[in-house]
Amino acid sequence: MAVGDASGSTISVTGVSKQYDGEQGVVQALDDINFGVSPGEFVCLVGPSGCGKTTLFRILSGLESPTSGEVVLNDHVVTEPNDNMGIVFQEYHLFPWQTVAENVAFGLKKSRLPSNERAERVQHLIDLVGLDGFEDSYPKSLSGGMKQRVALARALAIDPALLLMDEPFGAVDAQTRESLQDELLDIWQETAKTILFVTHDVEEAVRLADRVVVMGKNPGSIREIIEVDLARPRSRADAAFGEYYEQVRELIHN
Amino acid sequence: MATELQGDHAPQTADEEVPLVGIGLQRAALGGVGFVVFIALWWAASLFQPAYVLPSPVAVAETFVAEAASGEMTTALGQSIQHWIPGTVIGTLLGVLAGIALAWSPLLDDLSAPVVRTLRPVPPLALIGFAIAWFGINNAGAAFIIGVGAFWINFYASYGGVEGVSDDLLDVARSLGVKNDLELIKAVVIPAASPEIMTGIRTGIGRCWMLVVASEIFGVPGIGRRIWRASNNLQVDGVIAYILVLSLMFLLVDSIFRAVQRRVLVWR
Repeated sequence: MAVGDASGSTISVTGVSKQYDGEQGVVQALDDINFGVSPGEFVCLVGPSGCGKTTLFRILSGLESPTSGEVVLNDHVVTEPNDNMGIVFQEYHLFPWQTVAENVAFGLKKSRLPSNERAERVQHLIDLVGLDGFEDSYPKSLSGGMKQRVALARALAIDPALLLMDEPFGAVDAQTRESLQDELLDIWQETAKTILFVTHDVEEAVRLADRVVVMGKNPGSIREIIEVDLARPRSRADAAFGEYYEQVRELIHN
Repeated sequence: MATELQGDHAPQTADEEVPLVGIGLQRAALGGVGFVVFIALWWAASLFQPAYVLPSPVAVAETFVAEAASGEMTTALGQSIQHWIPGTVIGTLLGVLAGIALAWSPLLDDLSAPVVRTLRPVPPLALIGFAIAWFGINNAGAAFIIGVGAFWINFYASYGGVEGVSDDLLDVARSLGVKNDLELIKAVVIPAASPEIMTGIRTGIGRCWMLVVASEIFGVPGIGRRIWRASNNLQVDGVIAYILVLSLMFLLVDSIFRAVQRRVLVWR
C-alpha cells in the first residue's frame, strides 16, 4: 500500500503542486501529488471537501495548470484538454440546444470517421448507456440520471484512453446513484477503459475502485493509496468491504 | 450489453401541452371583447370632439380603406420598406456581432467601454442631422436612423447573452476537441446565447418600425412622411390610419419572427 510508482502507467502525476493567492495570503491547494494509473485500471480519488480533489481533477484534465510538477498521459505532458481523455462533470453540462444524439456526436465533428460510421458509433453508445429511443430528445426532457448517461456517452464517443469523472453521481438520488455505479462498472468491463473517478463518498470509492487514492487537506495531499482487493460485484454487507471502508474513512477523518 | 434503465424515467412533459386550444380560444375571446370595448369608448368620445382632435373610428376606417383602394398605402409601404429593411438588417447584424465580440474579448471590451457608454444614450432622432449630412435625405439616411435603433438593442442583448454562457460549458467543449476561440464561439457561445440574441432581434424589429416615422421626418417618402403631412394638415384620421398601417406591419413581421424563434429555440 505504498504511494504509487508512476512508471509504465497510462497516466503519471509527478510532483504536482498548486498554489494560488487567497484573501489571507498564499493558499497551498495541492502539495506534491505523485501517483500513477495503469491501463485499464479503475482508480478513485477520495477526500473531504477542501482537500483539493477538484483542483487536482482540473489539472489532470488540462483545464488548469499546476504551479509545479506535471501530468503525463501516454508520454504526452498534459497542458490542455485533449481528445485522449473523456471528461464527465458533476453537473453533466449537456448542450441544451442539441438532442441526445447530437450531444453524443459533438466530439466526433472533427474526427476522420465517415458519417455512417459516426452514426453507428453514436447509436452504439446511446444503446450502451441504455438511452435507446431517446436519440431525438432534448436535455430539458431528461431526468438527472439520464443526463449523466448522455454525458458519459458523449465522453466515450471520442474513444479516449482515459475517462475522468468528477463526482458524476453527486447530483442524483441514492437509488439512481447505485444503478449508475453498476452500469458504469458494466461499461468499464466492456470497454476496458482506464477510469479516474473523483468522489467524496467513501462507500462509492470502495465499491468501484481497484485502488483508492485517499487525499487529505491542509495542505491538499495524498495520505495513502489503498488497493481494494475484492471481487466484483461488491456488497456493502460483506465484512471485507467494511474493513476497507473503515480504513479509508479513518484516513480521511484524521 | 446495453444497460437497463432502472427506476428513473423522463419527467412529465410541460404543462403547456394540456388544453392549448381551450386556453387559446379563451384568450382570443377576451382579447376580442377588450378590443370592442376600446373601439366603443373611442367612438363615444369622438362624438364630443371635432375631427381634428379625435376623429371617429368610422372616419378612420373610411380613410384607411380609401388609401388602400387608391394604392397610396401600398406605395407608401413600398417606400418605407426600402429603408426599413436595410436599416433593420444592417443594424441588427452589426449590433449582434459587436455584442458577441465585446462580451467575448476582455481586451476589446476594456478598449471600447468608455466610448460605448458615451454613445449609448444618444437617441436616433438626435442623429438626424448626421444622417442628412453624411447620407442625404434619401433611403440611406433613413436606414441609418433605423439602423442605430436596431444596433443598440441587439448589442446589449447579445452582450448579455454571451456573458451569461457558463464557463463549464466551454470547458466541456474544449475537452471534446474544440480548440480555438472562433470554433468555440460558433459551436457553443452563439447557440448558448441564442435565446437572448433572438429576444434582442425581436425587440429591435419592433423599435425599427417605430423609428420609420422619425427617419422620414425631413422628407424621405414613406408611411412616416404621410403621417407628418396628414398631421400638418390636421387630418388626424389620416394620421391614425397610417399609424395603423405601421402597427399591422409590426404585427405581421413580429408574428413571423416569433414562429421562427419557436422553431429555433425548440430545445428550451
